[in-house]
Amino acid sequence: MLSESARMTTAAALRFRIQEPNARARATSVIALDPASEPFVARLAEDRWNHATFLKWPEEVGAAGPGADGWLTTFDGRRTRIREAVDSADQVIMVAAAGGRADAAALIGRACSDRRVTTTALIVGAADAADADISKTLAQLRPWSLMVVIASSDDYVRDMMTALRV
Amino acid sequence: MLRKEQNDLLTQTGPGTPGGRLFRSYWVPALLAGELPENDCPPVRVKLLSERLIAFRDSNGRYGLMDEFCAHRGVSLWFARNEECGLRCPYHGWKYDHTGQCVEVPSEPEASGFAGKIKLKSYPLIEKGGVLWTYMGDPASQPPEPEWEFITVPAGHTYTSKRLQESNWLQAMEGGIDSSHVSFLHRGDLNSDPLFKGAKGNQYNLSDSRPVFEVVESPGGLYIGARRNAEDGKYYWRITQWVMPSFTMIAPRGNHSVHGHFWIPIDDDTCWTWSFDYHPIRELTAAELAAMRDGKGIHVKVEPGTYRPLANKDNDYLIDRAAQKAGRTFSGVEGIGMQDASLQESMGPVVDRTKENLVSTDNGIIMARHRLLKAVKALVDKGIAPPGVAAEHQRVRSAAIVLPPDQPFKDGAREAMIARPSVAHASV
Repeated sequence: MLSESARMTTAAALRFRIQEPNARARATSVIALDPASEPFVARLAEDRWNHATFLKWPEEVGAAGPGADGWLTTFDGRRTRIREAVDSADQVIMVAAAGGRADAAALIGRACSDRRVTTTALIVGAADAADADISKTLAQLRPWSLMVVIASSDDYVRDMMTALRV
Repeated sequence: MLRKEQNDLLTQTGPGTPGGRLFRSYWVPALLAGELPENDCPPVRVKLLSERLIAFRDSNGRYGLMDEFCAHRGVSLWFARNEECGLRCPYHGWKYDHTGQCVEVPSEPEASGFAGKIKLKSYPLIEKGGVLWTYMGDPASQPPEPEWEFITVPAGHTYTSKRLQESNWLQAMEGGIDSSHVSFLHRGDLNSDPLFKGAKGNQYNLSDSRPVFEVVESPGGLYIGARRNAEDGKYYWRITQWVMPSFTMIAPRGNHSVHGHFWIPIDDDTCWTWSFDYHPIRELTAAELAAMRDGKGIHVKVEPGTYRPLANKDNDYLIDRAAQKAGRTFSGVEGIGMQDASLQESMGPVVDRTKENLVSTDNGIIMARHRLLKAVKALVDKGIAPPGVAAEHQRVRSAAIVLPPDQPFKDGAREAMIARPSVAHASV
């Protein structure tokens, strides 16, 4: 007689796998941390996503940042508090250009850590960047990210977001 | 998740498929050299990439790998006589040499030249490091011979095994780059398995069960770094190598040997899991070899005379619920290899990736799929050879290393991630 495992792992038996959706859409905030990554995130924002908000670190506040209770802006110029952007998200994706200033990672990362929101950081434009530039950005992202990805191909972020059902 | 057409593209590797064309760009392991132990030994059936083949070793020691079936009436050449530099079909005596060329058709006059017009499809088969390798692609694009370190060290330094896995190659391979499962599924084995225990790195593993990951593209595939806390604010890094399409190398532990896998499609529902262990600078000890043969470490005990694991789906993987409850094993299945295989096979022959819900720590898997899909497209659309074909992509090592907190592992372990003859691997 066939074992339970043998009977249940055939392609025929697997046709009975329940077809109902098994997860709700996860709310995702995608944040450009520096001016160099903004066009990249802006292009992503033009695509269709299930539940994504696209934000950027306001250029005018510069490296000093807007303070612990600071704010981000949408790509159409509306302000939103970091706390609100994090509170409304199940996961936060931070995007920084290789060699770019990613000071905002600390502020956003701390807010995520306080609220137990998962963080992923991506360094884009790595294909043509010097190792020193990547290292500089990496050092700023690393303490605040559960996962850091250094992608030589910028289309990786789109694939990753699709894979994560953003 | 992957769309269905992407999943099909990566999981289907038969002739004429894009995924099959990718695999046919590489030398792939076909047999253990010990399966053809001597000249004129019995031929061996081989199914690879959904092609049924027969392998043999002729009277002069030359290896042949060709279409399993006689061109005359379709008899399996597994029944053939291996004699006088060829395989002779026992039905009507047609004979083939190691290239698949028919050299005798006894019923036809020799002068007719009929035999010269018959040739079975064949592939080169070479021995390197105790493994027989084949290249099943376009002969005009045949790459240089494989250069993986485990097949270039002296024979006494290396041990390779293979086992049948009853799932598609991709879900098996993805387990090899999914570092976050180790803290759960294999947690019982670090301090007990003779091929792992005693390493200082194990303490870092067990004291910090929430590693942080970094995924970095390498020339041949990926470096996947798992970071845990060490002393004095430093980080303990375990760096896995993935080289396209299906080679992985796991970070070593202490002075134990370094190890890894190949996953090679048999067909779309099954694959060979190849497992190797080697030490760059010393011979493996008798105790280590005995442990490997006994299914310890990443190796698996198999049914005698076969490569099917002793614990398999027909016996529910010998699951031991009492051991699971007592915490001796996390899943109830014994041994690292079968802990992985049992769960991967439970997904079914080809897992439906449209239903999965990946999370941030799955970025190694996501990136590997991304690179595979891009490589397939570049190969099919433009004929560009994929990463992993070049010898320098194969001369890599995994590493375990402690680094200052501000040092990227790619910099700190740069030298350690390159295979160098007679240089020890970086291990903690």
